[in-house]
Amino acid sequence: MTPDIDEILRYLRVRGEAGDLRARVERMAAELAEAVPPRWVCRAFPLSHTDGGVVLEGSGVTLAGALAQKMLGGCDTAVLLCCTLGMAFEQRVRALERRDMGAAVILDACGSAWVESGCDMACAELAERFAPRYLTDRFSPGYGDLPLSLQPAVLAALDAERRLGIHLSDSFLMTPCKSVTAVVGVSDAPQPARVRGCGFCAMRDGCEYRKGGTTCAV
Amino acid sequence: MPSERIDFTKNRILIGAMGTVLQQRGLKPGAIPDLLNLTDPALIEGVYREYLAAGSEILYTNTFGTNARKLEKTGKSVAEVVSAAVAVARRATEGTDALVALDIGPLGELLEPLGTLPFERAYELFREVALAGAAAGADLAVVETMTDLAETRAALLAVKENTDLPVMVTMSFEENGRTFTGCTVASMARTLTGLGADAIGLNCSLGPDRLAPLLRELCENTDLPVIAKPNAGLPDPLDGHYDMDAETFAAALEPMAAAGVGVFGGCCGAGPEYIELVARRLKGKTPVPRAARRESFVCTAVKPLPITGVRVIGERINPTGKKRFQQALLENDLDYILDVAVAQEDAGADILDVNVGYPGVDEAEMLPRVVKALQGTTSLPLMLDSSNAAALEAGLRVYHGKAVVNSVNGDAEVLSRVLPIIKKYGAAVVGLTLDKSGVPQTAEQRFAIAKRILDAALSYGIAREDVWIDCLTLTVSAQQEQARETLKALRMVREELGLQTVLGVSNISFGLPNRPLVTRTFLVEALHAGLTLPILNPNQTELLDAVAAFRVLSGEDEASRAYIERFADYVAPQASAAAPKKEKAAQTAPLTLDDAIIRGLRAEAAALAREALGREDELSIVDGHLIPALDAVGEGYEAGRVFLPQLLSAAQAAQAVFEVIRESAAAKGGASVKKGALLVATVRGDVHDIGKNIVKTVLENYGYDVVDLGRDVAPEAVAAAVREKRIRLVGLSALMTTTLAAMEETVALLKTLPDPPRTFVGGAVVTAEYAARIGADYYARDAKASVEVARAVLG
Repeated sequence: MTPDIDEILRYLRVRGEAGDLRARVERMAAELAEAVPPRWVCRAFPLSHTDGGVVLEGSGVTLAGALAQKMLGGCDTAVLLCCTLGMAFEQRVRALERRDMGAAVILDACGSAWVESGCDMACAELAERFAPRYLTDRFSPGYGDLPLSLQPAVLAALDAERRLGIHLSDSFLMTPCKSVTAVVGVSDAPQPARVRGCGFCAMRDGCEYRKGGTTCAV
Repeated sequence: MPSERIDFTKNRILIGAMGTVLQQRGLKPGAIPDLLNLTDPALIEGVYREYLAAGSEILYTNTFGTNARKLEKTGKSVAEVVSAAVAVARRATEGTDALVALDIGPLGELLEPLGTLPFERAYELFREVALAGAAAGADLAVVETMTDLAETRAALLAVKENTDLPVMVTMSFEENGRTFTGCTVASMARTLTGLGADAIGLNCSLGPDRLAPLLRELCENTDLPVIAKPNAGLPDPLDGHYDMDAETFAAALEPMAAAGVGVFGGCCGAGPEYIELVARRLKGKTPVPRAARRESFVCTAVKPLPITGVRVIGERINPTGKKRFQQALLENDLDYILDVAVAQEDAGADILDVNVGYPGVDEAEMLPRVVKALQGTTSLPLMLDSSNAAALEAGLRVYHGKAVVNSVNGDAEVLSRVLPIIKKYGAAVVGLTLDKSGVPQTAEQRFAIAKRILDAALSYGIAREDVWIDCLTLTVSAQQEQARETLKALRMVREELGLQTVLGVSNISFGLPNRPLVTRTFLVEALHAGLTLPILNPNQTELLDAVAAFRVLSGEDEASRAYIERFADYVAPQASAAAPKKEKAAQTAPLTLDDAIIRGLRAEAAALAREALGREDELSIVDGHLIPALDAVGEGYEAGRVFLPQLLSAAQAAQAVFEVIRESAAAKGGASVKKGALLVATVRGDVHDIGKNIVKTVLENYGYDVVDLGRDVAPEAVAAAVREKRIRLVGLSALMTTTLAAMEETVALLKTLPDPPRTFVGGAVVTAEYAARIGADYYARDAKASVEVARAVLG
């Protein structure tokens, strides 16, 4: 698997023809994929649906709000997932920043796409493991009405500090920066794609595309 | 040095898992196990009794997460939790010989430079725990599950400097032989051994089978007792159960005794039943005799560097005779120093000499600051170059690896002042073969001083491998016969004492024409005489070429691999002069300075700027070429023809031009060419700083003096810097909605200053409306827009 080049170009705000930049992005993305494998941990928890939200039994995590209700309404199990590129990626970006800021920005964008690819790989493994049951789209704290303040509980349930080296700031930011936490529901029925579009995007208020009257097409 | 209280002459059996055992017994996920010492001591005591019955001889207190930072929201103090924890362990061990180890785990926050927690603050947090443990009567301390060598050093120093407790240290490694922060096993082993741990080892992360190769490597790199405390295999990805049973665990751990491990325990998933089987196989046996591989070695956490051949020391971080460097030191321009470091690393240096001694510079304050900054920038090991003992101690304290100090000499007073510091921090040391009466004229006299230095170092317990000798280069045009004496002394030190040899080679050619030829010839002679650590300017390609060739001839460069790679694109000079150049000239018009900047060609832009300095003065280059070129790129960016990476490459080409101009101005003795100062910072709580760094890069290349406070910066720190440096413009960045409040708070605080600076804000989630609402003077949509703001405010 390799990072999604179009997604990287989108992060770089390239509109229209990318010219030489595309080849450069492809080369750096391939190098990154070779050098820094995404690492992830996950845990599955049985669900109970209560008035206070969806409870992941034994995890200390309760998902309140409309998004969790909509995504997990038909599920009896949910998997918590954390995926990261680790400090190795962070150190590469910092080393590049001093040498070639342009390249550092490209690498940073490659990392954003690559950690998402890592989540995709993790979900593909989960799909195999749970087959013939079905998975929902993955969704994350910060999407829709699912608050970022869930991060401490999610990371604690995964023991992510010890197992992946994830640190969380008081404002719920993860270090290493290219880290993602996500929830995936498991159900007996096929699950429609749901978390797509501006309505779920944390960036919708300041989005350059929306200001220009378009979308990023995700 | 094993403590009298812990006998490591017999295998020792540690405790097994605590956290996973407590979870099995009903500890809620997310609950803090350390509080059970107060709320349910009987539960903890019960677990201890099971471990003692299984054969554990050293119990760990249930204080893995006990520090002021992690306990902050619990309302409990470190002293309360630690004294309860030691008391419950003590009760369990009553009537047995078992020992109680104060358990010290990670702080849960990354230290600088990876994170934002200062080393000194980490030390204070650990100090509080160590003092509480000693007061409560722990028998020893154990620092465990560490992944950052900086944090590990802080903890080890805190225990050693504030208590008499012996201390064991274990870190957690991944299967690739590195911790999460990139620390290697050899770096860990050599650094912690040097710093005076009583026993070191590995815990957590993997099962005993997969930890085995790492344990073997550890045993080869330390004389200390080695600890193995692995997990019960790997956790199931879905239910979290560890997959290795007790019998398999004990069977996989047993062969580690033959490799030299003498202290055994278990971590996650390995409960009392595991320890019982481990104890049955290993308890009471005598560890196999073992010694570390004897080798000279320096390292950073991520880069171990055994001196097993020629290693090049870069000499450029040194103000002597360099006007631009002196200016950077006096102006606190660390960025310039870091650029010098990076250039040497990229040119092929293996170690960087760091000298910041200059009149008007407080070395004891500057050296640690530069060492810290360098560790965030280069992975190369450092040679701290000073004669100021206080500066050396301050520098070594914050150097998170094994460093080398340059230097001591044969003067007894110097030796007694510096060697104790070398010993305390486990560094290597360079000894200059001179003393109070100066540089001796004969090789034999210099050899005698070398021997004196070696004997003194040995008497302090410093290993022979850590003493490197510099036989001193004198200028051949002034004292011609001394070149031969230097080489003779070097050969004697190498052959008769077997020590590493250091030599600065550049001085040899002073005062002669075609200096590089003399320098290179001397370098090659010195290498053949046994020089292993030449100090030179790695940017002089011909010197590193000579080292590359020497490595082939000496056999160090196996199958000439590195040499062939270095010269893969090599074209013989005669052939290259005619053909390709003509072709190039026919194809393209000559590159102009403006084009080179626009296209982001750094080296070309710098060369063209140097050329232009013959025709124009510094300011006219800035105003006539640099800024118009950047503006052209900026317009292209606004119009969507140029994208961010290209904008930044152009900015960095401009930076190279700026550097040429600064050098030129500094050489003329003028003040630096700068347009005005502004301050940038990423607000408190926000650790994502690439956006701020982009803005900084672009602003610097428009000639502004940018004071960068970094990331996660408290409002008070911004205000203090504004007052101290009389800043008129402040840029604040925030990436996440959760940190916007800190931005607002900072803007508000700045407004309370007597003569408030103007403010501009930006970042992914910041909008013009938000900027207006919090009272910022400007909103900068992107880096280009920040230039407009700077122009409006600072001109």
